[in-house]
Amino acid sequence: MKKFHLIIGVIIVIALVAIVLWVKSALKDNYIELGSNETIEPTPTQIQSIRDIGEWEFLSISAEEMVDTVRKGFFSDDELVRIYYGTLRLGIDMKSLADDAISVKGDSVEVVLPKVGLLDKDFIDEAKTKSFYESGRWSPQVHEALYRKAQRQMLRNCLTPANLEAAKTNAEAQFRNFMLSLGYQNVAIRFE
Amino acid sequence: MKQKKSILIAGGIVLLLMVIGLVFSCHSKKQPPNIQAGLAQGVDTVPMLIMQVQKCSKLYTAEYRVHKIITHDDAFRLKGQLMSKSFNVKVPLADRKIAIPMDAKIKAYIDFSEFSEKNVERRGNKITIVLPDPQVVMTSSKINQQHVKQYVGLTRAHFSDEELANYQQQGREAILQSIPDMGIEETARANAAKVLVPMLTQLGYAESDITIAFRRDLDFKHSYQGLIRIED
Repeated sequence: MKKFHLIIGVIIVIALVAIVLWVKSALKDNYIELGSNETIEPTPTQIQSIRDIGEWEFLSISAEEMVDTVRKGFFSDDELVRIYYGTLRLGIDMKSLADDAISVKGDSVEVVLPKVGLLDKDFIDEAKTKSFYESGRWSPQVHEALYRKAQRQMLRNCLTPANLEAAKTNAEAQFRNFMLSLGYQNVAIRFE
Repeated sequence: MKQKKSILIAGGIVLLLMVIGLVFSCHSKKQPPNIQAGLAQGVDTVPMLIMQVQKCSKLYTAEYRVHKIITHDDAFRLKGQLMSKSFNVKVPLADRKIAIPMDAKIKAYIDFSEFSEKNVERRGNKITIVLPDPQVVMTSSKINQQHVKQYVGLTRAHFSDEELANYQQQGREAILQSIPDMGIEETARANAAKVLVPMLTQLGYAESDITIAFRRDLDFKHSYQGLIRIED
């Protein structure tokens, strides 16, 4: 009887070991994860308009501007900080070059150039914007307001008399070089 | 046992996410309807500006305005393998979708910074201006914030500013990749003549005597064979 109990015990132990080994092998490659996809879907890029332009750029000002906004709360304040990137291009719109802007006398040439200014008021690359810090939830209207704020600040800081003067000086130098390359010995550049 | 623990932990995470989602959705309802007011109350922005000023001589001759709708379907999925059986199921009430309309300006320019007498060929009354090939740049982009549409499931948090910026950057990259198919370089070449020819006619050249030529990798050691010539 004792021997019988011993055999039963051994069989139970072997069965238990076998079950443990089987479960272990079955669970060996198990994994579980929660996740989502971070990439955008492929969508077409549509050309809305094609325009002939004649913008001659003489000074390029690349700017990055950090703007923020704070909303006062009962327990804590919410804050949104973004970094905007833009490039202001200063130069001459050649479309406004007068029909009699260039006059030639022998080997001398006189050029009257239009005023140097900002070539395009759309200079912020908003899709390049970096989000620096965000607490709380912010509406698209706030994002739009921050964009306008960054635009105003970039204009104020970059469109300075000093930069306009630098663009004008470079325009003069470049046009002089252009005319000299065409073979004129005496070049006079004036601005409207 | 460890696996059971991990399953329990995963279950716990799902429960936690649901609770967080509910808390956030409740929190959002408490926001005032006009968040614009938040900006008005905001502390003055401390401007941090970094500028890089560079002299250049670039003649932009073509401008393309492009439009793209960036879309992202952010389905929350439970993936895994149990007892040698793999599964990949959508977590219910955990979908997020967003569509971001975006406009961009792409311009092509001819670099005149290296322009010299080497770029000019004269034979009698005829003149040829040899220019380097146009280059293309995205000069600006604008997100149409008013028309951004998003749907957020009950258990998910709203899209964060960082996520939105990431999708917008991906959209920008997609536009840049599509530039070679737009044909902007050809337009830029043709338009260069429209800017330069009137100047040369003012200098006394007849339109029929003017040639604007382009060449890739302008190198004056080689002959001008293979030039793409546009005669005006």
